[in-house]
Amino acid sequence: MWWSNLFKDMSPASFFNFSFLPKYAAFFIQGIEYTLLLAVVSVLLAVLPALLLALMRLSKSRLIRSISGAYIAVFRSTPLLVQLSIIYFGLFGVINIPRYSLFGFVDLSRFIPGVVALALNSSAYVAEIFRAGILAVDAGQMEAARSLGLSKFDGMQLVVLPQAIKNVLPALANEIVTMVKESSICSILGMAELMFGAKAVASSTYITLAPYTLAALIYFCINYPASKAIEAIERRMRRGDKQ
Amino acid sequence: MATSNEIIRVEHVVKEFEGGVKALDDCSLSINRGEVVAIIGPSGSGKSTMLRCLNLLEIPTSGKVIVDGVDITDEKINLDQHRRKMGMVFQHFNLFPHMTVKKNITLAPVRLKLKTQKEADETAMKLLERIGLADKAGSYPAMLSGGQKQRIAIVRALAMEPEVMLFDEPTSALDPEMVGEVLDVMKELAKSGMTMAVVTHEMGFAREVADRVIFMDSGKIVEVNTPNELFDHPQNPRTKLFLSKVL
Repeated sequence: MWWSNLFKDMSPASFFNFSFLPKYAAFFIQGIEYTLLLAVVSVLLAVLPALLLALMRLSKSRLIRSISGAYIAVFRSTPLLVQLSIIYFGLFGVINIPRYSLFGFVDLSRFIPGVVALALNSSAYVAEIFRAGILAVDAGQMEAARSLGLSKFDGMQLVVLPQAIKNVLPALANEIVTMVKESSICSILGMAELMFGAKAVASSTYITLAPYTLAALIYFCINYPASKAIEAIERRMRRGDKQ
Repeated sequence: MATSNEIIRVEHVVKEFEGGVKALDDCSLSINRGEVVAIIGPSGSGKSTMLRCLNLLEIPTSGKVIVDGVDITDEKINLDQHRRKMGMVFQHFNLFPHMTVKKNITLAPVRLKLKTQKEADETAMKLLERIGLADKAGSYPAMLSGGQKQRIAIVRALAMEPEVMLFDEPTSALDPEMVGEVLDVMKELAKSGMTMAVVTHEMGFAREVADRVIFMDSGKIVEVNTPNELFDHPQNPRTKLFLSKVL
């Protein structure tokens, strides 16, 4: 192809020696898919436990509050890599997942432990997002609901949470952006996401730098527009509130 | 024993907030069916806390609140069931901003299976027509003026067909030119025979509409009388002092 000449004279350590691309593009494309799958699935899986943790954190019972508090403290105060390793070798050393492949390149016996670890980690952060979002809803909203005879559960579900979720939607989307980046750590356990793809290309082509430059570019091209879009949506939501 | 005419009876209610602030100090009162009671007093006197104790938004530290013969401070009763009988209107309206006006009004009756959505919609439209805001049924609260919001908040409470309506400074957050339209709705409501407890700074309204006026100061009920007696011949020196400042 015409552009393969572009990289002919570049050193293996060049930032932009993308001569590996024609042969190894699939590593990156599958890597992107794997990364997005990891990030989106783990944050979605985190939403319900996080909601539960947030509600527990706001409970009247001190015991329930501290259970949730302890969970959040543990997951926020230890490195993700450590959590991932413990869950991968510990939890999934006991639970056996069949070596089934999804879409031909997502090996479930690795993907599931990875997603579980990321989701458990993410739920601690998302719980705090939810808690802040719930507390940001004026207390008068729940009072109005209760004064109409609605139960605390109904008031939460119909009145407070819809407003809280609207408040936290941008933060939640940002959590996906964070997960797109954080999930790169799963490469260490052999999950074929984007970073793993870059590493594999670097070691088989001896082009030591450019695969990582490309990976960085791809991460940026996913996350930057995503966070801009989130900001735009947030602005539009605000405008909707004011009118 | 509660007479059949009595709908709310408060017995020796004390409310102490964390940090030892006594908002209510041994308050007792009773409200009869069809009666309009105005609660007045300086700010911080406990009048809002008193009102909020009537539907247990504020849980009394001690004492009893008896509604329709049932002690609602008893933890064994289903409080939600009893709250339905008491509509409440707040200073800051507290409409649900993510729902249309109509949905605000129909949410509770439909959710609590008192009405089908269709029945609730019809009731909502009738109520909205009564206050001249039928054209706002599909609007969101953010698009309404303060006076409109408060009138809709009143209608939302009425949609539950309550036996009593509680008003917590319903006109305090309004621009002056909107106070009248809200008071008019409340007057009409009083005329229709609704039992009402109104915490208010509107002395004119209290005098004109209330059957009885309660004056509170420092967490205590200081004086209770008919409006004419209380405003024209206050007995307690603290009532005299307060009225001399506001009238």
